[in-house]
Amino acid sequence: MPCRNLAMRHGATRGRAARVVRWLARCAALLACSGAAAATDWDLSLDGRVVSSNAQPPFMQGGLGTVRYGSDDQGLQLGRARFALTQSVGELWSVHLDASMYDDRDRSPVGVTEAYLLFRPYPRAGWRLRMRAGGFYPPVSLENRAAGWDSPYTLSYSAIDSWLAVEVRTLGVEGTLDWLGTRAGSPFDLGVTAGAFGWNEGAGAVLAGGGFSLTDRQTPLFGRVGQPGVPPLYGTEPFLQLDHHVGAYAGLEARYHDRLVLRVLRYDNRADPTQIDSVSQAIAWDTRFTSAGLRLEAEHGWTAIVQWMSGETTIEPLGMQMNWPFRADYALIAKRFGLRHSLSVRYDRFEVQATGDADGDGSEDGHAWTAAYIFAPDAHWRLALEWLRVVSSSYNRADLGGPPLLTETQLQLAVRYAIGSASR
Amino acid sequence: MFASLPAPGTAVAAALLINVQTPDGHPVPGAVVTVRPLDAAPRHATPVHAVMDQVNRAFEPDLLVIPVGSTVEFPNSDSVSHQIYSFSPAKRFQLPLYRGKPYPPVRFEQTGVVTLGCNIHDEMLAYLLVTDAPWFGRTDAAGAWSAELPKGRYHVALWHPRLRDSESDLERELTVGDGDRAELTVHLSKPLQPAPLADRPHSWEY
Repeated sequence: MPCRNLAMRHGATRGRAARVVRWLARCAALLACSGAAAATDWDLSLDGRVVSSNAQPPFMQGGLGTVRYGSDDQGLQLGRARFALTQSVGELWSVHLDASMYDDRDRSPVGVTEAYLLFRPYPRAGWRLRMRAGGFYPPVSLENRAAGWDSPYTLSYSAIDSWLAVEVRTLGVEGTLDWLGTRAGSPFDLGVTAGAFGWNEGAGAVLAGGGFSLTDRQTPLFGRVGQPGVPPLYGTEPFLQLDHHVGAYAGLEARYHDRLVLRVLRYDNRADPTQIDSVSQAIAWDTRFTSAGLRLEAEHGWTAIVQWMSGETTIEPLGMQMNWPFRADYALIAKRFGLRHSLSVRYDRFEVQATGDADGDGSEDGHAWTAAYIFAPDAHWRLALEWLRVVSSSYNRADLGGPPLLTETQLQLAVRYAIGSASR
Repeated sequence: MFASLPAPGTAVAAALLINVQTPDGHPVPGAVVTVRPLDAAPRHATPVHAVMDQVNRAFEPDLLVIPVGSTVEFPNSDSVSHQIYSFSPAKRFQLPLYRGKPYPPVRFEQTGVVTLGCNIHDEMLAYLLVTDAPWFGRTDAAGAWSAELPKGRYHVALWHPRLRDSESDLERELTVGDGDRAELTVHLSKPLQPAPLADRPHSWEY
């Protein structure tokens, strides 16, 4: 029987690998047909992992694991297959598309994580306006600065960025006005951003149902989280619009030369928490948060990032009122050795409370240590080794028969090969 | 960099040696020195044709000093497109999204500092100093620059994007007399602005 199981597993792995390769080949063929016009920038990458983990099943399997891979996911895994395209339209407009395949029982094998139209007029007298329309991340993260909203420091994102990756995206418009002081003799650049969006009224359900986690799994636009029929997430959909309220955010960014970045953002999806979809029974989650972060880059390859987020998500179905205040923060220290090697260590803390009629249901708190070594021998290859340990206490895990307090450890070796504009 | 020689037929009287030092006495390499005669007819250095390339999402070099009337070519050797702009009063221009070398050189007819950026990649920053000085150049690793000049009175000015001293504190008048050499050491009163970070992978968002 074990041999048969193993053979079935290998067969399944071969089938999945074939799917990934077929999709990447199609993307490559598409680029070849388009002739990769002069103003087209594109990237294609494949990230394979060898995983060792003692964690509970992860959220995409409907579990309450706090890391991306559970103890049933040992061995070879697809980290991410990614295809991205930036196509200029005229001189000042461009279209951006980022599509990924994670092959972990998502609704569709390929999902679009970001897709937007960017208007980028030339600066005038030190001022510059940028407008985006489509689906994209609001400007919160200070660690996810590599292509495809990945972190160049670690494989797993911080708890804050993991949550954004799972549940938050702007489906709407955003305007940014920058004062380019460094182009006019000042040591500072300043920017203000405002966004208006819809279709993010499902955001909050994963925090209340599953709590924070540390993963690098980005929910595609209009994708789902977890599996239908499997508690506690039931295949919830973050990208929903149930009322006619427009969500909004506003933020500030200040930079000192190329050394220091300060980012502050206030986000409110302004959902009506009493709304329930009569057909799907989906609930509107009224979610708002404030985030603030600082990234300092210094001589000799040192980087330090601190980020903090505090917010609350609320639902009010059938006359009840259930609140989940949440907060998370992290500190990261990274040291680069030339252009090829880097070592990073991050400490995360996170907490979800359950108040009002929620009365403890969904509360979680924990902390995590992440240590990663990344070696990029050239522009095509990246090797990464990451150790991640999460200690968490979860009401829902205990409620579903698991241990309330748990230490989960995940070790990943990742090999990524990329081709395209950024790696030529 | 350039170190213009005296025009033919002019008697060489002496060497001028300039030293630039930080407040704590360290040499300042790369500072731009411009020297104009105060008691001779003003004249300019001969215009040149220069190249400022774009490699790994950075301008290469990131500072050029050119005589007024010079032309500069801005090829893009990267595989990603760039979109160059300047909104500096000395020269406002844009080069729409491009790779390779699709545009003719840009001519700089006004003196002053021209700050260049890329409208796609904000980490890209470079400077052109367009000068009408007949003698100019940049300090070496020891913070020194020298030129051979005819005797007379001169106005010496220093410039670099990292210098924080006021413009007037970076100007001197001096006489190059009959001696072998005239020497001027400028001690900056304020520390330098931080240098751009090196070794940051160019694919990272700024």
